[in-house]
Amino acid sequence: MSEVATVAIGWGLTFVVIVTYSLWVVSRGRTIGRKIGIGEVHQSGQLQESDLPTDT
Amino acid sequence: MPERTDDSKMTATPLTRVLGILGIAASVVMAVLGLFISPPDVVQGEAVRMLYLHVPSIWIAYGSFVLTSISSLLFLARSKRREDSGRHYDRLAGSAAEVGVVFTGLTLITGMLWGKVTWGTYWQWDARLTTTVLLFVTYLGYLALRRLPADPVVRGRRAAVMALISFINVPIVHYSVDWWRTLHQKASLSVGRRPEITGEMYWTLLYSALTVTIVGAWLIIHRYRVIRLEEIRDEENLKMLISSRHQEKPTDSTAAGEVS
Repeated sequence: MSEVATVAIGWGLTFVVIVTYSLWVVSRGRTIGRKIGIGEVHQSGQLQESDLPTDT
Repeated sequence: MPERTDDSKMTATPLTRVLGILGIAASVVMAVLGLFISPPDVVQGEAVRMLYLHVPSIWIAYGSFVLTSISSLLFLARSKRREDSGRHYDRLAGSAAEVGVVFTGLTLITGMLWGKVTWGTYWQWDARLTTTVLLFVTYLGYLALRRLPADPVVRGRRAAVMALISFINVPIVHYSVDWWRTLHQKASLSVGRRPEITGEMYWTLLYSALTVTIVGAWLIIHRYRVIRLEEIRDEENLKMLISSRHQEKPTDSTAAGEVS
């Protein structure tokens, strides 16, 4: 395998892994958020975004 | 009146959105610098471009594991005193460890590819590579331990102890190239030692480290919030189960009465 091909595979794989993991984290947050009522119709007494902790 | 909110607000705040956009923009610049602007190495040629991924990845992994250890220590120290059992620290430890495992995995992948070009082999059981794979496996074990069903505080304490034990390997990985004769080169940048690289390569490496730090921080913050959401979901499920069991009781007694 040539140096250029190795570099291309290395950089490509790294970006694929990071983007896939980021999308998984965001989509998991959205899926669970919908299940527990955050991001959908908010009734009084239901969980709001403000119930979540702010910045770490 | 019901109020509809934006889905994207579930784990994001204006700060994390800015951090996310900054991370994407910085990654694009990093790719341009690393792949096109920075010069090829005299010895390694184009393969040296793996440096800008490989080295920052392990730095962020180290940083994440340090954060995991500090959070685990604080969790162990405060879990009995705080109202919420210090679960904030447990969440932070878990999210940082997961991001650390992702970046350790990337370090291994990029290192293997780089090794194939420079050493002629993907893998060699030398001290640096072996201790790094051990680090990856022990933190995978830590993440598996966090998923075992148990009382959250008890599980958090077990995980915290495991995190502190796992951390022993971090300095061993870092200093393995100094302590043993290895195929792996010594650290490119080290405190108190003259850098092995200079000029555009040096600045590109530092810039890459900054970019990966931004991306890592964004991931840790989001993962932390997802863990919090998972906890809320589990608590809601538990409440629903308990209330459904309470509702079942009168039905059971009615049924028993009908039989007698």
